[in-house]
Amino acid sequence: MYGIEAINANNGWAISVVGITIVFTGLVVLSFVISQLHKVMDLFENPRKIKGWFIGEQKAAEEGEISESPPFTLTEEQKEITKQFALLARTMEEHFSLPRLLHLSQISGVKNPHSNLNILLKSAIIFPDGEGFFCWDQNLYTKIISQ
Amino acid sequence: MDTLFLEFFQNTGFYLCDYRNIIMILIGIVFIYLGIAKDYEPLLLVPIGFGMLVGNIPIFTGLGLGIYENNSVLHYLYFGVTQGIYPPLIFLGIGAMTDFSTLLARPVLMLLGAAAQAGIFITFLGALALGFAPNEASSIGIIGGADGPTAIFLTAKLAPHLIGPIAVAAYSYMALVPVIQPPIMRLLTTRKERLIRMEEPRQVTKREKMIFPIVAFLLCCFLAPAALPLLGMLCFGNVLKEAVVTERLAVTARTAMIDTATILLGVTVGASTQGDVFLVPSSVGIFVLGAVSFCIATASGLIFAKIMNLFLKSKINPLLGAAGVSAVPDSARVVQMVGQREDPTNFLLMHAMAPNVSGVIGSAIAAGVLWSLMA
Repeated sequence: MYGIEAINANNGWAISVVGITIVFTGLVVLSFVISQLHKVMDLFENPRKIKGWFIGEQKAAEEGEISESPPFTLTEEQKEITKQFALLARTMEEHFSLPRLLHLSQISGVKNPHSNLNILLKSAIIFPDGEGFFCWDQNLYTKIISQ
Repeated sequence: MDTLFLEFFQNTGFYLCDYRNIIMILIGIVFIYLGIAKDYEPLLLVPIGFGMLVGNIPIFTGLGLGIYENNSVLHYLYFGVTQGIYPPLIFLGIGAMTDFSTLLARPVLMLLGAAAQAGIFITFLGALALGFAPNEASSIGIIGGADGPTAIFLTAKLAPHLIGPIAVAAYSYMALVPVIQPPIMRLLTTRKERLIRMEEPRQVTKREKMIFPIVAFLLCCFLAPAALPLLGMLCFGNVLKEAVVTERLAVTARTAMIDTATILLGVTVGASTQGDVFLVPSSVGIFVLGAVSFCIATASGLIFAKIMNLFLKSKINPLLGAAGVSAVPDSARVVQMVGQREDPTNFLLMHAMAPNVSGVIGSAIAAGVLWSLMA
């Protein structure tokens, strides 16, 4: 048996439709779940936000429960240097060694690497992971750079 | 003494040789040449090519040498293929070397990996139309997933008699990704589309990367439990990688274990292509359908990316759709190559890895679905 007749006889159309639907459903659901994952993680890390939903963010802030850290301001030159550090940090592991970043900035010709690295630490764009390494806070970086 | 010489001569390969063995030996040599000289998937083509030489040495049946003879060494090694043991081990290694960051950063790209799986089901219909049985058609269709281990795994479960041609077709097309995909990509996209730059992905936290394989495993395997052997090992390998504390196991999985499984799988699949078994009309049909499947998968991904662009604010480069086939990381590299031909400063590789790894998940789910529907 060949052609359309063979497809019909073997229930081919239904199998194909069901198959592609299941694959699509699986990946769409997975895609949706992982698109929300970082938001869930954010809530997990900042449980005060959940409280803010119920009593209102303003009230929660008034109660001192939500305390946004004052934004750290950088000069235009410092911003440029921070962008250079951001590029260097991207070439490294998520948890990186500070001396290694300093070394990279020195060989890359970044201006005043020691003092600028210190600024990044003060601004908390670079923060310690508690295990001897450091991490790059991309959200804070974007926030400070866009000021 | 003359009789002894004659008997010995009658047992030599020169006497037992068949034209089909010669053809397969030549194909094996071409595979080895492509792998070594042209650098087309050498880690796969060289073992398969040499396996073809091994499998096509004419042997006196009864000595327990051939892969299809019970109790031969090759037969025992081939057990890992026929029982679907090697593919999950390879998936373990793939999981231990895959970074899902780009996928986590832009999950919508996962849909491209889903779209590319359309090739599997369209080819399934084509194979049915050409007179293949449904289980055979499923095994042929999965070639479009461009995922060798998945194709072998499903074929071992549904149509073990077709493992040789399907495995060789799947790996051949995977090796030929840089040849097959670019013309389709250029045909289905405009220059303007190929120049689209992707937004910089957000930074993904370590915790997200850690949670992803567990969530993906639970979700996908609850939906398609038959995908468990492949997806289970893929996600487990990724957990080992991301957990950091299990780095030693992850290193073994992505080096020694995947290499051992690849060698055994490559050589035995190659050795299973004995001329008399392999050179049959159905093999030609499998190769043709495999190529069609692969082209449809590439085209589906590209077209779906263009459709997505109709609805997305931040446009995606439709070339990424071609990376929806799960030839990791070759199809992502091809996307980068084609994109850079238009604009050398446009870096698409990182973005293309997202549909590429979702293609691996998609083809494993598709294999699971077909297995459960056919079993």
